[in-house]
Amino acid sequence: METLSFEFPAGQPPKGRALVGCVGSGDLEVLLEPGTPGTLTIQVQTSVNGAEQRWQHLFERMFQEQTPPALNIDIHDFGATPGVVRLRLEQGFEEVGHD
Amino acid sequence: MNAHDLLWGMTPAHLPAGAPAWAKDAVGTVVVRRAIVAPGFVAVGVRGRLREQRFAALMPMAAVQRRVAPEALRDVVSTRDLPALQALDQLRPVLAPLSWGVTGSAGFELATGIEALHAQSDLDLILRTPEPLDRNDARDLLATLDEVTCAVDLQLQTPFGAVALREWAGPSRRVLLKTANGAHLVIDPWQAVA
Repeated sequence: METLSFEFPAGQPPKGRALVGCVGSGDLEVLLEPGTPGTLTIQVQTSVNGAEQRWQHLFERMFQEQTPPALNIDIHDFGATPGVVRLRLEQGFEEVGHD
Repeated sequence: MNAHDLLWGMTPAHLPAGAPAWAKDAVGTVVVRRAIVAPGFVAVGVRGRLREQRFAALMPMAAVQRRVAPEALRDVVSTRDLPALQALDQLRPVLAPLSWGVTGSAGFELATGIEALHAQSDLDLILRTPEPLDRNDARDLLATLDEVTCAVDLQLQTPFGAVALREWAGPSRRVLLKTANGAHLVIDPWQAVA
């Protein structure tokens, strides 16, 4: 078990919070809460050790395409593939945006 | 050949040049993965002793000597005393009328005798659901699984992929369907992904 921390430039915080995903092999649980304007922080707790670079690259690629909202994100990872991580984050962004 | 089936017959010679050293010792039994590959091959996962030791590879169909489906592991009895195995004992009668099997570390250990489970391992199960499972029935089934001593991760196998019972029983409108083409968020896991 490993805990990783990341920080990225962001826009404004959304109003809502959201919990998406699922506890179970190959999946992840993502808690998204409004953060400080301009900053996105991500905490990843993962059962797969030694994957910090992979997370960093995945987040960089996602946030390059579109500036993310200012959030504090808590991720509990159970060995999800990058494709699943991406889907869950997009789902979470959508849900905080709806409120 | 379905996802979660265990296969025997792969040799280190089937691994690509860049495969990690631990994988060569671990090809004895491999797990079928959900992926589309060239005809004549099956997508498999090689599992080492550590959680991060997972390697995706291709196995030639012709090399398969033995195949064990998750269903065949339902009644395998282990002498080891671990929460995941106790949970399996408790759930066997509950799940008996259904089409289900054991996957993950528990399935691997029951099929091979290699000690893959530890005290914190959850129990991975698969339930074949060719017909839609009502979300209320999913909630009832989940409540039953949550009564046992160990975390149970049950995947519903629909004709189009797999969805976690826990998520299908939850409030989310869209759920994650894992298919041979990758994962998709869908409203109905019993409908083909557009």
